[in-house]
Amino acid sequence: MTGTRITIDNVTKRYDRVEVIPGLSAQFEAGEFTVILGPSGCGKSTLLNMLAGLEEVTSGRLLFGAREVQNVPAKDRGCAMVFQNYALYPHMSVADNIGYSLKLAKVRKAERVERIAAVARIAGLEGYLDRRPSQLSGGQRQRVAIARAIVREPGVLLFDEPLSNLDAKLRNDMRIELSNLHKRIGATSVFVTHDQVEAMTLADRILILNEGQIEQFATPGEIYHRPRTTFVAEFIGAPAMNLLKARGEGGNLCLASGTPMTTVAHEGEVLAGVRPERIELSDAGLKAQVLYREDLGSHHILLVQLDSGEQMRLSTSQGGANADSSEVFLHIPPDAVHLFDPETQQRIN
Amino acid sequence: MIERTRTVNVVATGIMIAGILFILAPIVIAFLTATLSYEEFVSGGGIRLRVSDHFWENFAHVLFETRLPAQLWNSVVISLLVAFIKCAFAFTATFALVFYKSRLNTVIFAITIVTVMLPLELIVITTYQVVANVLMPINWLLGWTGLDALIERLTGSRPYLEYSLLDSYIGVAAPIATSSTSVFIYRQFFMSLPKDLPRAATMDGAGPIRFMIDILLPLSWTPLVATFMFWFIGGWTAYLWPLIAASTPDAQPAVVGLARLANTDPDRIPDVPMLMAGALFVSFIPVLLIGLMQRQIVRGLNLSEK
Repeated sequence: MTGTRITIDNVTKRYDRVEVIPGLSAQFEAGEFTVILGPSGCGKSTLLNMLAGLEEVTSGRLLFGAREVQNVPAKDRGCAMVFQNYALYPHMSVADNIGYSLKLAKVRKAERVERIAAVARIAGLEGYLDRRPSQLSGGQRQRVAIARAIVREPGVLLFDEPLSNLDAKLRNDMRIELSNLHKRIGATSVFVTHDQVEAMTLADRILILNEGQIEQFATPGEIYHRPRTTFVAEFIGAPAMNLLKARGEGGNLCLASGTPMTTVAHEGEVLAGVRPERIELSDAGLKAQVLYREDLGSHHILLVQLDSGEQMRLSTSQGGANADSSEVFLHIPPDAVHLFDPETQQRIN
Repeated sequence: MIERTRTVNVVATGIMIAGILFILAPIVIAFLTATLSYEEFVSGGGIRLRVSDHFWENFAHVLFETRLPAQLWNSVVISLLVAFIKCAFAFTATFALVFYKSRLNTVIFAITIVTVMLPLELIVITTYQVVANVLMPINWLLGWTGLDALIERLTGSRPYLEYSLLDSYIGVAAPIATSSTSVFIYRQFFMSLPKDLPRAATMDGAGPIRFMIDILLPLSWTPLVATFMFWFIGGWTAYLWPLIAASTPDAQPAVVGLARLANTDPDRIPDVPMLMAGALFVSFIPVLLIGLMQRQIVRGLNLSEK
């Protein structure tokens, strides 16, 4: 199985008068695992449905390889989809669920049985083929849904939040399984989720969508370490990045009150972002009061208030050492600061 | 919260026994009366709670000397038609309403509801006119377009098409079947299905009709069976319309035939014991069906697919 390159060329989507996607262009390389990430209502599911052929494209072009598919019916696009609620056919056995598309495509029975057995082996469903979906656990049902999707050997595999119905432990296991599966079958995969952990761990590249527009489309590392906009900066990472109003003055980055925070090369008004885990506790520096302390075992998350009134969150593994101190001093390394333009919300440094 | 105290149990059981007695009393009376001979009935001065040994006599009379056995067959065919038409139309209509989004959906649904609010009893005269000549709309269309005048000039005679469905099975069954109550039941059921199911079927390459036959129909089996039973019994007990639409005893269903037996001779006291035997004979098929399908009916009307 080889993947198909997907090109989204200035695609728009509107329902009546509401414009959900105002014009989006992107390219997913053959065999790439792309995660579309965004808050609910950002248009990510709509985009996936348009790729699948379950919703019409209002304008623009969709290309699978060199083939224009925006007017091709879903079944002829060579893509398959895994749904959030599995959407298995409750009255059919696992084997019939997996083989239904082959049956409709008029594949001969002998070949059908063979192919069902082959994907069942890949998905770890041997011995379950005669069961009904209601006799399976959540994880097994999701495997059936995946097997059903890959049995037709699609060039494009679409996932619509497939892990959100599983419990936390199973979700971690399935994530690894999915990742391995992707490497094995090599189809171009597009995975929609609102869970940033899934996005960070699964994706070759993450496409962050906000109100139907691309905020950033880059590798997980790039997105984490060099967020292009304040939206991405606050959306990725838990706890979220601290964003403070600040000003660059003579090599110092000063807070609104004038207190210097750290050094910077930039001059003028900025929004300064610092990830909680990059803030260090030290013996001297920015003085702050601890308002609240969350003990997560491996590390502590502190909510602190600076003398000038700004609140910040910081994550520290030293939290246990000075558990009683309500007064701390913060050190912010210059290279930990992300600078954003307060007007355009775009990254500066 | 379910109370499980002794008093509640006793009171509930009491109410249930009272209810059962209330419902069973007419049947018991019918059975007791059916055991009397005509002479015993007349000399006894009407219906009395007495057991006699003429039941098989009365029953044999119903079987061999009335048209009820043949009319029972009419009832079976008509009720099957009623139930089938109702279920088939409601199923396909609900399928379209639930799975296809259209601007006209609300309007279509409203029109569907109207048929529930216009019972056959209310429109019986116009229904009779239509069934007496189902080609009436075509005559009207010919007159409206002026085609009939044209044909008259060409052939010399004004066309008037006539085709009556009175006294036919479909003529009796179809008007009873024009009600969309099942649409509500199916709609609730369809909407309880996972909304990704039709989308998954689309991705698998199933068109709307494939989806309806391969996925929706097997899943809807329990509500379908339950409503089918329901409408079968509704068709079985329908009285007013079959009375009007079927004028000959050969076409009448058993319920109408039973009523006709009552007034064969106006000067004679009706043979009530024989009528009661007939009533028991006419109702045994629905009772049997309910008895056999009880579990299915309850499950189907529960509207949940486990």
